[in-house]
Amino acid sequence: MTQEWVHGVSAAVLGMLLLGTSPGLPVVRNAVDLCGSVLSVPEYPILLLRSFCREVYVWAWEKEELKRQIDALRSENAALRLAESAHFAEIIVADLNSRTKEARITLREPQGWWNEARVNRGRGDSMAVGLPVFQNGFLVGRVNSVGEMSSWIDLLTSQSLMIPAVIEETRDIGVVVGGGNGTVLLAYIPEGRGVEPGMKVSTALVNEFLPPGIPIGEIEKVEEKHEAAALSSGYVTYRIRPGADFSRLYSVSILTPRTR
Amino acid sequence: MIYAVCWLAQDLLTVLTDGIMQIPELFLLSIVYGLLTDKMRDGIGAIWGAFFGGLLWDLRWVGMPGFFALANVCVVTGVIMFWNALPSSGRTAFVVFFVFWMSQLIPSAMYFALFVRAVNGARLFEMQQICAVSLACLLAFCFARSKNGANE
Repeated sequence: MTQEWVHGVSAAVLGMLLLGTSPGLPVVRNAVDLCGSVLSVPEYPILLLRSFCREVYVWAWEKEELKRQIDALRSENAALRLAESAHFAEIIVADLNSRTKEARITLREPQGWWNEARVNRGRGDSMAVGLPVFQNGFLVGRVNSVGEMSSWIDLLTSQSLMIPAVIEETRDIGVVVGGGNGTVLLAYIPEGRGVEPGMKVSTALVNEFLPPGIPIGEIEKVEEKHEAAALSSGYVTYRIRPGADFSRLYSVSILTPRTR
Repeated sequence: MIYAVCWLAQDLLTVLTDGIMQIPELFLLSIVYGLLTDKMRDGIGAIWGAFFGGLLWDLRWVGMPGFFALANVCVVTGVIMFWNALPSSGRTAFVVFFVFWMSQLIPSAMYFALFVRAVNGARLFEMQQICAVSLACLLAFCFARSKNGANE
């Protein structure tokens, strides 16, 4: 115990002496250099490992940074696209508004109640045969004849007007035709296509006069009158609930052609 | 031999983590552990081993010979005195943990107080002490297990 105490104190004194006298001595510098060069041999693989770890870290960091930048650019791109879409949508809406003419129903004869109506827009208002007629954004019918001061329109409920249409959910194409009694039907839809009530119906691309995508209404049910015939032919006729209200047809909108 | 390996391990780990964290005093810890578990029966050898190990560390990392040599000697001599003065019943795992931790805290605190002027010096010191406390816990656990094994 005493010996250890003596050795401890001796070593501490030696340490203090070294601490007090060694700074600045050339021999210390030589010793430091020698120590460093001897230890550089076992330390070399560790230096390589450290360099490798640092490179991996920098690579991972750069990758993360690039990912972050890509995400930021994607967000920016999406925002720009949205702004561009909104801009185009505004242009389209402005174009449609400028081309839409409001018209008032001036005559709807009782004997042709479900077939036709007359509006107070004529040739002078850029009316032309075949133009689509709307109520609240839904198709009402089509311009049939144009006079100087008025035009006649065929209604969707007319048996003489046939319009190619598509069920939006199933993309099945059929023909919309009036039932003659206020109903609107969608005919020639193949049986077993999973058509259900509530599915949207709009004008089809195959139409010669009307642009595609104009909403007509939605599927209401299978038309019972045609059910037996459908079973034999393989095609089903559906009754459509039109978007336009044919019992409250006081005024309509007519989409005029684009002027060049 | 094991102490030389611990010194080299401490040196290599310091090279590996230079600038990121400060490695605990593995060499000193191994000597203290040897003293407490009677694996190093020669206290004088422990004192001079700690002195030369510290001197070598000074030459390699501090550039001021005598600093860690003195600190190590003080710690080892203090541990020998404390441990010999302590009755066997008082040599519990908690006391051992405390001795281990103090053997890490004293030289490191002196070194950081006198030499480290880095902005993140406090963080380096904290990280070192977290590792040191973990190691002290582990070694105290090993000490308790070996003591229980000897009693059985």
